[in-house]
Amino acid sequence: METRRRLVRAGSVLAVPILWFLLTRLGIVAGLPTPTAVASSFLEEFYRQDFWLSVARSTVRVLVSFVVAAAVAIPLGLLIGRYTVFADLTFPALEMLRPIPPIAWIPFTILVLPASELSIMFITFLGAFFPILLNTIQGARGVEVEFSRAAQSLGAGSFQTFRHVIYPSALPAIHAGMIVGMGLAWVNLIAGEMVAGGTGLGFLTWSAYTSGSYPTIIVGIITIGVLGALSSALVRLFANWQIGWREVESA
Amino acid sequence: MSTVEQVKRRFGAGTVPLLTKRLRQALSVVLFFALWAVLVRLEVLGFGRFVGPVPALSTFVSALLGAPMTGSGATIYQHAAFSAMRVVVAMVLATATAIPLGLLIGANRRWEDALFPALEVFRPVPPVAWVPIALLLLPTFRSGVLFVVFVGAFFPILVNTIEGVDTVDEEYLRAAESLGADSREVFRHVIFPATLPSIVTGVSTGVGLAWITVVAAEMIAGGIGIGYIIFQAYRLLQTDVVAVGMIAIGVLGYASAALVYRIGNRLTEWQTID
Amino acid sequence: MSNQTQTTREPTMEGEPTPEKTGAIDIENLTKVYDPEGERVVAVDDMDLQIGAEEFVALLGPSGCGKSTVMNCIAGYLEPTEGEVLVDGNRVSGPDPKRGVVFQDNRLFPWKTIQENVEFGPQMNDGVEEGRARSILDEMGLDGFEDAYPSGLSGGMQQRAELARLLANDPDIMLMDEPFSALDALTKEIMQKKLIEVWERDNRTVLFITHDVEEAILLADRVVVMTARPGQVKDVIDVDLDRPRDPEVVTTDRFTELRERALSVIREEAQRALEQEEGEV
Repeated sequence: METRRRLVRAGSVLAVPILWFLLTRLGIVAGLPTPTAVASSFLEEFYRQDFWLSVARSTVRVLVSFVVAAAVAIPLGLLIGRYTVFADLTFPALEMLRPIPPIAWIPFTILVLPASELSIMFITFLGAFFPILLNTIQGARGVEVEFSRAAQSLGAGSFQTFRHVIYPSALPAIHAGMIVGMGLAWVNLIAGEMVAGGTGLGFLTWSAYTSGSYPTIIVGIITIGVLGALSSALVRLFANWQIGWREVESA
Repeated sequence: MSTVEQVKRRFGAGTVPLLTKRLRQALSVVLFFALWAVLVRLEVLGFGRFVGPVPALSTFVSALLGAPMTGSGATIYQHAAFSAMRVVVAMVLATATAIPLGLLIGANRRWEDALFPALEVFRPVPPVAWVPIALLLLPTFRSGVLFVVFVGAFFPILVNTIEGVDTVDEEYLRAAESLGADSREVFRHVIFPATLPSIVTGVSTGVGLAWITVVAAEMIAGGIGIGYIIFQAYRLLQTDVVAVGMIAIGVLGYASAALVYRIGNRLTEWQTID
Repeated sequence: MSNQTQTTREPTMEGEPTPEKTGAIDIENLTKVYDPEGERVVAVDDMDLQIGAEEFVALLGPSGCGKSTVMNCIAGYLEPTEGEVLVDGNRVSGPDPKRGVVFQDNRLFPWKTIQENVEFGPQMNDGVEEGRARSILDEMGLDGFEDAYPSGLSGGMQQRAELARLLANDPDIMLMDEPFSALDALTKEIMQKKLIEVWERDNRTVLFITHDVEEAILLADRVVVMTARPGQVKDVIDVDLDRPRDPEVVTTDRFTELRERALSVIREEAQRALEQEEGEV
């Protein structure tokens, strides 16, 4: 990319804090914490154990829920995608649950699950589960029949065909689902933490609002945004690592 | 030959598949409700504290007949109307801003350089995280919730529109140009229609996120709406109303997804349908 | 690689299998109807064809005549609606590594390297033998590309790699569905030569589907011409040209004669197919 373009793009990013500064300085948006206030609040939080505990809590919740969601959704999606009978028996029930936003489950999970930690993780799990499931199903259905035929003619049994053909060729679709799923995991985690309370960055942000320490709200938002971006990057990295063969294709 | 043997023989010979497709699908739904009932009956985990399918459905029916959801007196229709209005208004605002912006960013490199990096700064923030700041900054509670729902719908539409423009085949543009189209006509007759399928994808993702966000915002911020009633009913331990709220939100979510799908199909009829 | 005895082969014209030879295909009253409950598209209608072990047969016909359907039935991908396919006297009931397939657009697994592709068959069956894939790849002129992904290879190389993948499994029968139709003329010629080389050395049966009359005559012992849909055997042409056949053979009178005969049958069928289609519209 030419230098001029780089500069413009950097300027575009820099314009965000500058605009923010001006908006607060000139009093255009009343009540918006100033960048300096947020920066000093950030410093304060930086030395508080509570803050780091919230960061750790939210991160662990997302990662564990996401991994469990992928571990359940991918095999399930492959089976639903390949076996009509299995699909007919399971998919309609899942389709009934899918339109319910995961966060709407929170009262149910608080009542039914033994610990509030599990409730929040279940919500986060649901957020990631359906995008991964749907994409996996689509990926498994999209596998060209000649690939599995080729494998069969080379002597592969049905499990081997699954492992060496259906799964790898569905991978790009699975990864697309994982990227969406990671985003939705964060959305629902934050909502869950705000609603169910207790711990985590969502709670930190919401309690900053209720307790009137407004700059901390923005500290929370920025932290959540950074962690969200990092985890999306992690999924992309993992995806690229897993399908090296695709990069060659696009090169 | 007994019936069981007959069924076994037919199944074994592969002549008759296990039930018909419709029956299997119906069975799936029936099994789901049965599982729900059994879990509540046997009080697995904390299911004993939740409502079973039969009382939940009966409350759903009486709610549909106009009974107030909780003591506050608002009916399911009022709650649904508030949530739905928020989603509709937010969707209208989001499509009206994200689509033109996406087309502009996708088609013009200068605009892309100037705007996209700044927007990317905000994208990783989950829309729900904006709830406190929106409540803080916007004058009314309603506008605060609306803003958050708007943010939820905005980014998927924007990103899909940009991607859609990026993937328009260069040769179509060349073809149009050599057939005499000027840049505005190229935009109108080539770029926009070619991007439409991608925009439709963005809108359907956006409407899903709008529902998630509206429920979360209503739960957190309170007031009126399906999200609010679900959480309020939980506080009052009216678990049948919690279940009714979940059913209602599911139905609304499904209906709006189906609507977007329909409209999308109409708009992109030229695409080959399998 | 092959446990069969390495002999210089004589073209077998009548295709009578001698006891020790394997790979004879017997197609008996083969009928394949798609969508039998609904539209009933008869792709192949009561077809009979015997292919001898180690014979090279080309299946020629207008597009949509059911050539691929026949191949898919032999491969075991499709169940015949009526009739059956026997291989060495046994009814075909599903795909088998003894019947290898080369597809029209290459079907190397894009997510596996060339070597992993070639080792896939052995891995599924008896186990991978160290160095074997490499020697097959060497033979196919693909040394140095073991770790490349298929997408990094040219079309000709991909097709060679797919052939290598097939050979690694040591099949009795090679089923090839227009394998070279997407290649440029020069690459095609090289591949044809390679194929004949492999076939002459390893004593395999080849069923080669093509719509290219010259290719069929150049390669095959017998050319089977199919009718337009529903597919049946229209004509069987014995190709009595000496082997090895170099490219100049196409200029000989005998070649021209055979080509004219095949072409006239094809033309007739293509015309009929066109009229059929017009009738349907």
